[in-house]
Amino acid sequence: MESNSDIVLRVENLSVSFDKETILDNISFAVNKNDAVAIIGPNGAGKTVLFRALLGLVPYRGSIVWESGVRIGYVPQKFSVHHEVPMTVKEFFLLQRRNFWYPDKETLNHLNHELALVGLSESILQRPIVELSGGQLQRILVAWAMLNHPDVLLFDEPTSGIDVGAEETIYHLIHKLQDERGVTILLISHDLNIIYRHVKRVICINKEMKCHGAPRDVLNPQDLASLYGEGAYYHHLEK
Amino acid sequence: MESTLLQALFVAASVGIASGSIGAFVVLEHLALAGDALSHVALPGIALAIAYGIDPFFGALVFLVIASFVVWYLRTKTNLPTDALIGILFTASLAVGILTIPDYEIIESLFGGFPELPPLFLVFIVALATGFAFLTFLFAKQFAFRNISRELAQASGIGERYELLLLVLFAVVVALGIKLVGTLLMGALVIIPALVARNLTRSMRGYIVVSTVFGGLIAVFAVFVANIYHFLPGPTIVLFGIGCFAISLLFRKN
Repeated sequence: MESNSDIVLRVENLSVSFDKETILDNISFAVNKNDAVAIIGPNGAGKTVLFRALLGLVPYRGSIVWESGVRIGYVPQKFSVHHEVPMTVKEFFLLQRRNFWYPDKETLNHLNHELALVGLSESILQRPIVELSGGQLQRILVAWAMLNHPDVLLFDEPTSGIDVGAEETIYHLIHKLQDERGVTILLISHDLNIIYRHVKRVICINKEMKCHGAPRDVLNPQDLASLYGEGAYYHHLEK
Repeated sequence: MESTLLQALFVAASVGIASGSIGAFVVLEHLALAGDALSHVALPGIALAIAYGIDPFFGALVFLVIASFVVWYLRTKTNLPTDALIGILFTASLAVGILTIPDYEIIESLFGGFPELPPLFLVFIVALATGFAFLTFLFAKQFAFRNISRELAQASGIGERYELLLLVLFAVVVALGIKLVGTLLMGALVIIPALVARNLTRSMRGYIVVSTVFGGLIAVFAVFVANIYHFLPGPTIVLFGIGCFAISLLFRKN
């Protein structure tokens, strides 16, 4: 049993409904500092809604308690910019800073540092955000979420829409963030191989809590069949 | 220089820059058509003001600000088909306005004219328009943030109230421009500079600045031309703006 001071997030009896349809029902779990936790479940299980509730973006019942003063970074699953929106990568970062019009030298140095962390050079700062490739945009989103040095990073399906090479880099990056900065990571993922290799704990949901624990304890055929339906989990393992 | 021209130039410059700056976001939010319809709501307000012997500007202002609240509520708080409702509601306003505004005021209400304002009122309009352009720059970051991702903006504490602020700024700028440009054409002065800027820029800050500068230039230049040829300033502004837009297409980035 962990002491309370190690807990960065405690969720109790969390339920979310939209138009009388229950999306999440009675979810409870806690996350320790410097943990990497994966949230898995089939499509429509409410994983993204769980993140949105954690961020306070949707109304919910039950309690969500973050450690006081905790800073949260968020990498959304879907991020598409309308092609008519003129915005450079640099301006996208400056949205989070006090001074959008005249950023100081220190801010710009900080930007370059965060870009280096995700393996991008500063030349990308001048490019319009609509011209980035899927992989570049994903890395920019990670750097963007890390800009204010969050204590917790919520990462919604980091691999969707990215080729395998870039996927590896993203997970390598997640490790690096954990090791170097002690960031707590909550990760929604479909890819069980990745989860085996990269996280310490798994939470399975399908509207309600199905299982939680270490990957090797939880990701057994019985639990997966109960989560995804008979046979469906093999598809995930084969990916 | 005659005083009506001088007045018109002051109003054109200040309302032009205010329209250009707020228009940058009106266009990005895809509010161009809704905004155009919104400007028609001014007409019943003008009719009411005339009936009570008040300056029509104040009637227009009150009705426009109320309408901006209605648009915001429909867009953010309901699942109703907002575009269709706005179209119906505001076209009805146009019909009511046409029937209730006295004949001698109709053309000026619809298409504007060279304003003849008491000096204090002129100062009031110029100061308010300039102040609102300043406010748009002040909140540009929040408007741009919500435009690029409502979800990320919300998670960073930039909520729906900024959409309301954008609509209210827009409504007041429309009210300020009605005397010069008219209710039917004011929407165009808001939209056109932003479309020109969109063709010429690739960054958000560049886009807002260029839209603001073109708003001022288009309005001032068109007022000069209208004065020389005895045209109405409103239609001249719109046609001159569309000319600028056509030329800007030749220099379109990406």
